[in-house]
Amino acid sequence: MALPRSSYDPRRVCLNPFPEFTLGKHRRTVGVYLAGALFALANWAFIDAAILSAHAKAPYGSPPTVEAPVHVTFVDWIPGICSLLGYLVINLIDKDRVRGDEGFGDSRAVWRARLFLFIGFALMAGGLAGSVTVLVLKYILNGYAEQFLYYGYANVSQSVALMLSAIVLWISQSTSSEYEYNLTL
Amino acid sequence: MPAGLRTVILLSFVLAVGFLLIILSCALWQNWLPLLVALIFVLAPLPNALFSHCGSDELSSYESSAPVDLGRFITALFVVTGFALPIVLAHSHVIDAKACVMSITGGGLVYATILAYSAAFSQEESDYD
Repeated sequence: MALPRSSYDPRRVCLNPFPEFTLGKHRRTVGVYLAGALFALANWAFIDAAILSAHAKAPYGSPPTVEAPVHVTFVDWIPGICSLLGYLVINLIDKDRVRGDEGFGDSRAVWRARLFLFIGFALMAGGLAGSVTVLVLKYILNGYAEQFLYYGYANVSQSVALMLSAIVLWISQSTSSEYEYNLTL
Repeated sequence: MPAGLRTVILLSFVLAVGFLLIILSCALWQNWLPLLVALIFVLAPLPNALFSHCGSDELSSYESSAPVDLGRFITALFVVTGFALPIVLAHSHVIDAKACVMSITGGGLVYATILAYSAAFSQEESDYD
């Protein structure tokens, strides 16, 4: 911002523009705990759907001899597996390598690290897209009851929570110095 | 009576109540799956205890290293698993809803006891923690 000095008023416009993020030196700890909790929550959301499907009853209000029209099959597992693979790939990368500081390794290593990071994020995004695809194609378009739409929603929430967990873990682990806590890519 | 002794008695009482709740939640419905919750919550502080000795040898006292982070990650995983398992089981009607509430309460009490015990009787590095 190249505003002239005389017309620049440094007072903030909003009263409270952004909540002060001062967890201090415990920020890394809190972030890692939060990432683990999100990771477990993601997987339990999907396992819940899978167990619920294994014990599935007929739609509400129909005689109990009627079979459930849809179950969680292997197709539902694929987006979660993609997301988990992406999670592993992202967290196996050396984070200093990606940043690509001058005089730290050669540029080809940085290029390779970024390629791996791209593959990891592509796997996670692919898992998210796949879960939305499963939700729409398998559950919504076939017009199942709300009871069975839950399987699809659980799938999507698994992917979203895995992505959030990866982001939280990345941010909390890349705060070595106090001044940079953004995604330095 | 010294304060340490009172704390020990209180904590052991809370631990006993926690285990009582978990075992009741199993025995009242003749369904012993909630006993897994006790196992998970007992195992939950283990990764932290193991991995906390791996990192930070010297000169990096408050910058935690990767093994410490891994221990914390697995601990959070265990804790959330302990809370999520009864909910999932109750959701698919494997266990009763009341058994779910009882086992979650008991597991929380057990884990809180372990946390409080390790917080009250940690002898080392209390000044630069």
